[in-house]
Amino acid sequence: MSILAQKNTKVLVQGITGTQASFHVKRSMDYGTNIVAGVTPGKGGMLHLGVPVFNTVKDAVAQTNASASIMFVPAHAVKSAVVEASEAGLNLVVCISDKVPVRDMLEVRNILKNNQTHFIGPNTPGLITPNEARLGIFPENIHTPGNIGVVSRSSTLTYEAVLEIRRAGLGQSTVVGLGDDIIIGMNFVDILSAFMADEQTKAIVMIGQLDGTFEELAAQWYRNCCGKKPVICFIAGHSQVFNTTVGYAGDIITHGKITSEEKKKILSDAGIIVVEQINHIHQELQKLQL
Amino acid sequence: MNVHEYQAKQLLNYNGIKIPKGKIAYTANEARQVAKIVNAKGPWILKAQIQSGARNSGHFLEPKAGTQGGIRQVKSLKDLWKEAESMLGSTLVTKQTTPQGKLVSRLYVETYVKVNFTFYAGMAIDRVNSVITLLLANTKDDDINTIANSATDQILRLPLDPVNGPTHAQTNRAMDFLKLQQRNYDRFYAFLRGMFKTFMQNDALMIEINPAGVMKNGDIIALDAKITLDERALFRHPEHEKLKDDYETGPRELKAAKYDFTYHEFDGSIGCIVNGEGMAMAMCDMIKNRGGNIACWLNVKGGVDRDKIAAGIKIIVTNPRVEGIVINIIGGFVRCDLIADGIIDAAAEVGMNIPLVVRFEGTNRDEAKNILRQAQLPLMLAHNTDDAVNKILQSIQENE
Repeated sequence: MSILAQKNTKVLVQGITGTQASFHVKRSMDYGTNIVAGVTPGKGGMLHLGVPVFNTVKDAVAQTNASASIMFVPAHAVKSAVVEASEAGLNLVVCISDKVPVRDMLEVRNILKNNQTHFIGPNTPGLITPNEARLGIFPENIHTPGNIGVVSRSSTLTYEAVLEIRRAGLGQSTVVGLGDDIIIGMNFVDILSAFMADEQTKAIVMIGQLDGTFEELAAQWYRNCCGKKPVICFIAGHSQVFNTTVGYAGDIITHGKITSEEKKKILSDAGIIVVEQINHIHQELQKLQL
Repeated sequence: MNVHEYQAKQLLNYNGIKIPKGKIAYTANEARQVAKIVNAKGPWILKAQIQSGARNSGHFLEPKAGTQGGIRQVKSLKDLWKEAESMLGSTLVTKQTTPQGKLVSRLYVETYVKVNFTFYAGMAIDRVNSVITLLLANTKDDDINTIANSATDQILRLPLDPVNGPTHAQTNRAMDFLKLQQRNYDRFYAFLRGMFKTFMQNDALMIEINPAGVMKNGDIIALDAKITLDERALFRHPEHEKLKDDYETGPRELKAAKYDFTYHEFDGSIGCIVNGEGMAMAMCDMIKNRGGNIACWLNVKGGVDRDKIAAGIKIIVTNPRVEGIVINIIGGFVRCDLIADGIIDAAAEVGMNIPLVVRFEGTNRDEAKNILRQAQLPLMLAHNTDDAVNKILQSIQENE
């Protein structure tokens, strides 16, 4: 198996008729992703890229039984698109859209609190299960099936991590981009626990970020989790201090200023293998002798 | 996006938060004129409007600006004119700016307000819990800088309901925590509501009132204020467009922003073009680990086309620090072939007389490489990030 999406996962695309969406959805189809429908309000009834387009997610689900969505809608429409997706009972939403206002994301999180919909993103390259399903914008030609799970908060570094796995002569079970916005849906703990439970996955590569404390939470969780698999982690940013915020509130929220050294220490104290440079990942993978 | 103190205060005042009377001035003469309107007799406070904290403990680079910081109290109009004249056009350096400092182009002339008691009030986003959190601290003994770093137990954190904001129960708890008198309840409640309303109404990411003061009559007043707005939400706030201060952004940053790029400058010699901020940081780390240093990075995002990328390269070339450029693109959303076209356009226009290393991976990689090979430009192709970093460091060394 793999996690979240497989060959038989029925996928619909919200905002399918946009230029970028069309470009990437076509490629996902060529890759073998089971895309069954599109949704664009006002364009219901037409065929686009060979699949039927519906006005609402609810109609699309009723007609096609789709259980997952790739979201390409404009930033200002994300909130209402999420409401639609969750009301239609979708199990998984992958939101590619970027520049979604933080206030909207706070509301989205509030809406999804009591809801079964798993939300990934926004501003993510999406997720890919090699040779089975591509729910996003990954450069698919760098991926091969295998037993390494990838979870990342950075988009380009996700690709770099995948290339490192290839360099080690291995492939991926599933690659998940969490997105690097201030408010995101699923986080490291959600995806790590799915990988721990997945038979195919033997080890995990995790790409963290200096901002926020999701990595610290993951470390805490990993320390106490059962069925532990090796996790290799990279966090960029030790060479520069990116002081882009004004005031003290941000540091107070995170209980003090976060430095990459402290963050790395918390992770390695929890038993996670931390690499200093992204191009060291393949060596650590080889050491695992999977 | 940050706004100036006086703008932040106006946004807060719109929602009922009391602020000292003040006016903005661009020249010393203007400062003298508005001072009379603000307060007939003084004293006044002159406040340098740069988007940075710790202005009071900062210093000016120019001798004519004197030894005091960016916030000065004056008692006579004559002194006011003199101090305004010395600060305007000078460069203020604080703990939160770069050593180069920031140019002071406007002053806020404010009436001096006496308060009995001050506290810190902040609202910011708690990413992990996805909520707006109210932060309060008593600043009688220590300033917030000290408290934030070493005494985090002296800060009250209250997660706010995204719809209703601060509740009465939370207000009561906050009153106890700050040891405010019960007779201040209504004013304190209105103060917290006003902050929350300002936060929601403007799509803020952070509001800080530091300090807030309690006056003798029990009024609560914002003596200083900082607001960070969410740039992602600018589309529903056309009124925020005029709050932008181009002086706060460097000329190349400004230009890059026009093309929807993010651009940052440092003090090294290598210019980087990447897609993705994580990649930019990883490159910085790698270059530094090998003894090099970065001059700037430009992050091209999703919807980039041929013209935009050419413009991006031109921005980097105009940075005098740049001795070599490395372009490292792993195309997902970004298409490598478009980047290749842009490189050719830029080279044709500005001529490439410094080393250029290009690495392509992902979407349309092979097409892109072919385009560059056919154009026969004096550049080096790299096959991964490692290789790209090594090649640029090597060729810069050879050039020296």
